[in-house]
Amino acid sequence: MALRVVPAQASKSASVQDTAGTFGLHNTLQYGPRTIAAEIKSQSSLKDRLENWEETQDNLKLNLQRNVHGIHLPMRTLMERKLVTMHPNILGTSNLHLDILMGRDETIEPADVFLGKSYFSSLRFVPYTSPQFGIPPIVAP
Amino acid sequence: MDRIDMNRLKSGEVNLGTSIMAVQFDGGVIIGADSRTTTGSYIANRVTDKLTHVHDRIYCCRSGSAADTQAVADIVHYYLQMHAQTSGGPPTVHVAASLFQRLCYENKDALSAGIIVAGWDKEKGPSVYNIPVGGGLFKQPWAIGGSGSTYVYGYCDATFKEGWGRDETIEFVKNTLALAMSRDGSSGGVIRMCVITEDSVERLFVPGDQLPKFWQGKEVLGDGPKKAYPESEVAMAVEA
Repeated sequence: MALRVVPAQASKSASVQDTAGTFGLHNTLQYGPRTIAAEIKSQSSLKDRLENWEETQDNLKLNLQRNVHGIHLPMRTLMERKLVTMHPNILGTSNLHLDILMGRDETIEPADVFLGKSYFSSLRFVPYTSPQFGIPPIVAP
Repeated sequence: MDRIDMNRLKSGEVNLGTSIMAVQFDGGVIIGADSRTTTGSYIANRVTDKLTHVHDRIYCCRSGSAADTQAVADIVHYYLQMHAQTSGGPPTVHVAASLFQRLCYENKDALSAGIIVAGWDKEKGPSVYNIPVGGGLFKQPWAIGGSGSTYVYGYCDATFKEGWGRDETIEFVKNTLALAMSRDGSSGGVIRMCVITEDSVERLFVPGDQLPKFWQGKEVLGDGPKKAYPESEVAMAVEA
């Protein structure tokens, strides 16, 4: 219901919940010595802001739709999105219907180029002695 | 890389340190602003237009962070277009001001924006709403805002009268802004005004060399007495 324009900054908190044992304390036997760095909830306010950006803008638009037209309109919008993702595409990962509904059909973004692969996975280590570098193999005399 | 301080980012932002005002008169409202946008002491834009259209007869004056006020004004503009379609007529100034207020209040941790919303609608006629930083909503007959406004509260309190017509209100806005611009370092440039009535929106422009002039001080050198001694005295007789 709140009209957030940008993602809210996560409050700075640390929690021992994830590694808690029977007594509610940090389970050293299972997880190793306790470090605060591992417990803080949010590492970087910039990272959180960027990760939540699109979702926040989308929620803002849906809330404005609700205020103008009533609860039915954001429901319909979300139902339409669900409908087009019901039957997954056999041949690939691209969903044109979803792109049109989300307004991405006329733009090219990094996601469209990298197609889900991360940048580093496409850099494969090739030993410098392989033929492609043109260096003749070193042969002991 | 990870420890980016969002507050540091905000402090270096382009700023609309400003003088803005809006005054209601019997036929409509007049809004006015200076034209200076600063980044620290650099004047990033000396001819800024701070009077932003959000609907046909509803405008807002922006002060504070330029990016924040542009983002909020864009959202309100978008919303009012949708609202006008479903409600079958132009939105009231109160609707626009309420939305500005909701956005400014609910995002007060992230925004630095002081906005004056003014316009004309059929139900209430002319209205002026002041939304200072923090997101309160205040309906007033006249409102001033921005860093330059602090210097002219006295002038406005002493000068404003109810029942003025269009021309007297234009003079009031022009004089107030000129006084604010002459004392506030973050305000300056030209004066832009909009006269919003039922029939039309008219933009007025006062260039920087035609601003109303007030007490400027006196010339210290050069305009002193022209004669070395007054005329009534006779030159001394000197024995040759």
